[in-house]
Amino acid sequence: MRVRDRIARALIRLYPAEFRDEYAGEMEQLVRDRSRDGGSWRWTDLVVDIARTAPREHLVVLMNDLRYAVRLMTRSPLFSAAVILTVALAIGANTAIFTVVNAVILRPLPFDHPRQLVQVNEKNDTLKLPVFSASLLNYLSWKEQTRTLDLAAFGFAAYSLSGDGEPEQFTGSPIAPALLHVLGLSPLYGRGFAAADERPGAAKVAMISGGLWKRRFGGDPSLVGRSVTLNGESYTIVGLAPPALAVLTGGDIWTPMTIDPGRENRLNHVITVVGRLRPGVSVAQAQKEMDAIAVRVGEQYPEVRDWGINLFTFYRAFVNPQLETALLMLLCAVVCVLLIACANIANLLLVRSAARQKEIAVRTALGASRSRLLRQLLVESVTLSAIGGMAGTICALWSVPLINRTLPPNLLPIPEITIDRTVLLFAAAATIVTGVLFGLAPSWRAARVDLHTALKQAGRSAASGPRGRVRNLLAAAELGLATVLLIGAALLIQTLFRLQRTELGFAPKGVLTFQLAPPTTKYALDTKAPQFYRTLIDALQAIPGVHGAAVSSGIPFGNGSYTSTPMTPIGPSALPPDTGVSIDWRIVSPGYFHTMGVPLLRGRDFTDADNSRDAPVVIISAAMAERFWGKTDPVGRSLRQVADRLPFTVIGVVADVKNTALNRQAPALYMSMARRVWPLMDVVVRTDRDAAAILPGVRSAVRQLDPQLPLASVRTMEEWLSNSAAQPRLNAQLLGIFAAVALLIAAIGIYGVLAYSVTQRTREIGLRMALGAPRARVLRLVIGEGMSVGMCGIAAGLVAAAALGRTLSSLLFGVRVHDLPTYAGVAVVLAVVALAACALPARRAALVDPIVALREE
Amino acid sequence: MRNLPVPALHILLAVSDRERHGYAIMQDVAARTDGKVRLGPGTLYGSIKRLLEDGLIEEHDGRDPDGDVRRRYYKITRQGRKVAMEETARLSALLRHARAVGLVPKTV
Repeated sequence: MRVRDRIARALIRLYPAEFRDEYAGEMEQLVRDRSRDGGSWRWTDLVVDIARTAPREHLVVLMNDLRYAVRLMTRSPLFSAAVILTVALAIGANTAIFTVVNAVILRPLPFDHPRQLVQVNEKNDTLKLPVFSASLLNYLSWKEQTRTLDLAAFGFAAYSLSGDGEPEQFTGSPIAPALLHVLGLSPLYGRGFAAADERPGAAKVAMISGGLWKRRFGGDPSLVGRSVTLNGESYTIVGLAPPALAVLTGGDIWTPMTIDPGRENRLNHVITVVGRLRPGVSVAQAQKEMDAIAVRVGEQYPEVRDWGINLFTFYRAFVNPQLETALLMLLCAVVCVLLIACANIANLLLVRSAARQKEIAVRTALGASRSRLLRQLLVESVTLSAIGGMAGTICALWSVPLINRTLPPNLLPIPEITIDRTVLLFAAAATIVTGVLFGLAPSWRAARVDLHTALKQAGRSAASGPRGRVRNLLAAAELGLATVLLIGAALLIQTLFRLQRTELGFAPKGVLTFQLAPPTTKYALDTKAPQFYRTLIDALQAIPGVHGAAVSSGIPFGNGSYTSTPMTPIGPSALPPDTGVSIDWRIVSPGYFHTMGVPLLRGRDFTDADNSRDAPVVIISAAMAERFWGKTDPVGRSLRQVADRLPFTVIGVVADVKNTALNRQAPALYMSMARRVWPLMDVVVRTDRDAAAILPGVRSAVRQLDPQLPLASVRTMEEWLSNSAAQPRLNAQLLGIFAAVALLIAAIGIYGVLAYSVTQRTREIGLRMALGAPRARVLRLVIGEGMSVGMCGIAAGLVAAAALGRTLSSLLFGVRVHDLPTYAGVAVVLAVVALAACALPARRAALVDPIVALREE
Repeated sequence: MRNLPVPALHILLAVSDRERHGYAIMQDVAARTDGKVRLGPGTLYGSIKRLLEDGLIEEHDGRDPDGDVRRRYYKITRQGRKVAMEETARLSALLRHARAVGLVPKTV
């Protein structure tokens, strides 16, 4: 054959088989004829011609297959509906979870080249503080010395905005003017901050968020350049901040950070420092340089000798490993559900393909090739999965706003989840893969049908043999996957219960909380502000139904400020000499422990007279007392901050309180409000009435003291608590739902396998009974067959769960990864479910009438 | 019925007076249009397939007069004739309208 003919033949291969069968010979002949007549074939013409016409022929074939698939679907609507519904559920759940994973983990953070961005934390190995905020003075030193990073920083502040209507309180940040530049952001409107804005005494300027601009100022375009009153002072608004800035700092108001080095303490850790790697610098190189800088700074200022620098990539700073694990676990779980669904549908299709053997045999006899049959059958299954997938995706997309609304705030590091192209691609890919996955085994088997036997037997194939093995394997796999999911869910549910039953150390019921931030210009933190709170507490206590009111710089589980500081005992102690221990500390008013229901174990509570600057007094937690002084009475003993000489005298001991997280308890220390307060304080009010009922009285008490002062974060203590358990609850709920769905599908799967096998073996069973087999034996036979499949699946699942368990460990609390009772319990539950699924078909087998069964065929 | 594609109309014209095989159709079309319309094999047999499906042409096997090569010959059907005439009527109406507004080149 000549080269030209060979090329022509190869090109003609591009047409679908149906078309080639009919016309390939003619087309080759045409090419030969034309060249024989000396017609100058331009190969490009031929290629263009084929490229233009071949896709169309493929489309025609595909449409035929599709039409056939749709006709088949409508012929067995119940079956189709079951498959579509299963796929819709599985794909919907997958898409929904993937949307969250995509938004949190996969999508780049909304900054310019986010991979170059790092968070620069301080660390202290001797105090076991791996990640800590930075101090302003250290930040200045780093900035001066680094050659690998462009640094900027931000703090945290509360701003009360007054004038133009009701005073309102907002959170926000003082930021270094370079911050926007380092992040690669520019203001939505107006300007950002300039270096000049940073100097002490510069004109006061601010940026606000687009949301605040729209809500409070009605989107007034002339706002930029106007002045507003923040914390009682006049600020000029110079610009609208880009939304991504709030992703990093949170809040709605930003002001330039002014640093007065003369008034700062190098150990005052109050800011977050971020940096951009200079071109060509790796994180490791920057870390190395910063390590050297930390050593130099420590030599120059011995008080920070123990403090090092710990660089975090922005991804790690935003997505904590626990959240990452939780999300990936949920994704794996939901993929498991999808796989179970695939296995189940594959089983259903295997049953059907057995019933369709004759049809397929006839089509093969009429000349349909195996590959064409395979394609036709795959088109059928992909069509089913495409309809289900589309329905599921639509539901998932629909549910995204719902997810945004129901997810507790601060659970995710991003303001909201959005859908993008990646999500849609994922949904499409998952749908197609699903269709191929559940269609492949049945199609493969069906296309390999043995013509001779199939036509002769007309669909009476035995359940045993290779097909029966595949079906058993699929059912066992379903049960195995369900076992893994169920164990995971059981562990997470136990975690949730343990967390909810954990000893809080205080009585949350009936406590209303809110935050106040009286402007420091009007209320000095060490004089006017404590007086203000004193008067407020008295006014609150006078409200009918109020049984206690107090103030704290940070209530347990709240969002107020709390900090930890290394402290060391003075005099004899249970600790080795000169050991610093990181202590959570906060400021509280007299009556705080009473109001929160924290028992005072020894000594006395604070009074208004505990305001001494030179001889301050503190109350410590039981855990801290134990740590510092063992069993001896700590009252009257003293301690100091590692960085400072000033002694604090212990006047009382209170019970331990879970202050920051349900699964964490740290030694705690309380200072007296009368001495000094913080700019933002939490107020707690205990009542035996409904929180909503006393709120108007509370508001008016605050208004009477200062009409300019807004209440922020008004919430009950129980709401704060529920917020803190949000992620474990979500983990447990979602995995619980997935496991339940998996169990249901797997049960249906094993039922399907057995029911079909019984139907197929009716004759055999009838024969056995005719030969004298008692019903009980038939019952045992069928149940034994089903349970052996079930037990294999469950055993495999237990092994898999034990192997995968480690990955869950960071999400568990109060329960071990390989908790034996959980494993045993799940195995029993699954065995019972499998037994129940076997019972129906077994009963039917036992009720077979041998005479009818034998006559039937 | 939807409009007839141009290659299909050419094929109908080629097989309207006598039956022809694929290559002959191609030659006929090329000759009639001074080589301006060259039907490639894909276009040719794709069109033939649809014309057959729509019952506008019919097929029978035959032998090449000058050789032993088996060939498929095509001939227009009654229905095909009707559709071709409808199509040409439509086209001449179109031509009339075009002439009326002066959108036809002088040479036509």
